[in-house]
Amino acid sequence: MKQRRGGTSSGLDLLLMPPRVEASLWRRFRFEREFRCREQIFTRYRSLARALARRQLRTRPRNGIELNDMEQFAYEGLLVAIDRFDPLRGIPFGAFARRRIIGSIADGAARMNESDAQYSYRRRIETERLRSIAAETGPADPLGALADLAAGLAIGLMLEGTGLVEPEDGIDRRPNAYESLAWRQLNAQLAREIERLPEREAAIIRQHYENGVSFSQIAQLLGLSKGRVSQLHAQALAKLRTRIGYR
Amino acid sequence: MTLCSDEEMAQLLAAMQASMPDELGLADRLIEAYPDDARLHFLRGSMLAGSGRPIEAHAALSRAVALAPDFALARFQLGFFELTSGEASRALATWEPLDTLPSDHYLAHFVRGLRHLIQDHFGEAIRELTEGIAVNEENPPLNRDMRLIIDECSRLAGDGAPAKPADDEASATSFLLDQIERGTTH
Repeated sequence: MKQRRGGTSSGLDLLLMPPRVEASLWRRFRFEREFRCREQIFTRYRSLARALARRQLRTRPRNGIELNDMEQFAYEGLLVAIDRFDPLRGIPFGAFARRRIIGSIADGAARMNESDAQYSYRRRIETERLRSIAAETGPADPLGALADLAAGLAIGLMLEGTGLVEPEDGIDRRPNAYESLAWRQLNAQLAREIERLPEREAAIIRQHYENGVSFSQIAQLLGLSKGRVSQLHAQALAKLRTRIGYR
Repeated sequence: MTLCSDEEMAQLLAAMQASMPDELGLADRLIEAYPDDARLHFLRGSMLAGSGRPIEAHAALSRAVALAPDFALARFQLGFFELTSGEASRALATWEPLDTLPSDHYLAHFVRGLRHLIQDHFGEAIRELTEGIAVNEENPPLNRDMRLIIDECSRLAGDGAPAKPADDEASATSFLLDQIERGTTH
């Protein structure tokens, strides 16, 4: 999961021509129907969406909207831009997407009234996660189900709070040298286990916990139903929990 | 299958060398007249690559290889295009038929060298690319490109500062021109 930092680091990196790499993703997504390239394009431009969300938050009147909400609107705009972009027209995608992302943020912020803002992204996402995990736990053993639920949520919190999945802003949120060795080892183990997950499950964990992309947007991104994303999310957490011996 | 005449080919090559504004239009017209001439698709691919239209460039190079699977140079360039696009496994598949080239052919050396390179075997990569350069008398511009790669390789192997990728499209184009002029399309 960790990206190598610090520039060129392998033989292939040395050969890469960035405009061709980008064009290759569009070609495979659009003309060769390789849909996972859509997620890669999204990941490539996610930091642009986040940066625009941050900037828009600063320039707009405060009406209870949080950065997370702005980011969701920005991601919506990015998804629309990905689907509407014509890679053969010679316009850089960044410039094309920027207008749509800003438009989506403006629309979203205007749509969102005070009461929506109370029910912010944070609470929506917690509800989504809870539903996802709860749906996978059986009713036969209520206490066991509760324990499973708690363990699932704990894994989610670990993923979110420890910088296991490296944010694009490059800030290292991993525990510092003074924090416990055991905690760091557990984090490292979790990171390894994410890499071992099936591709789609890993993508869901990455997108959701790395940048808080909502289940419905991940569904759009991966061409799945929201219910299926929720299900895969629960499965992925269950695998992680078992593999790190958290039950 | 009708191939374009030597005269028409010379006209297209001259347009490319002079970087005439309508070179692509000329290639398009010739392709319309001779849709099965792999050399035309290959040249068009190099023009598109050089003018920042990589999606269409890939399609044109792929078409050249599909029309003439034994067109070694086009195959090498298609694989190299894929490699520089980050599609290493696809490049390896594209190059596979080049294993039938004599092992001392310069393209065979270059392919082996680049295969080593993507496995981070820098020493072997440098050796093969150097040997390829030594035996390649047909395409000096390609030697220059490979030399650039060797330099970057040496820097990387020596843990030096990260280097800029070799992204000299013009150089690749001149190489294609040089090769076509010699008529080496086997």
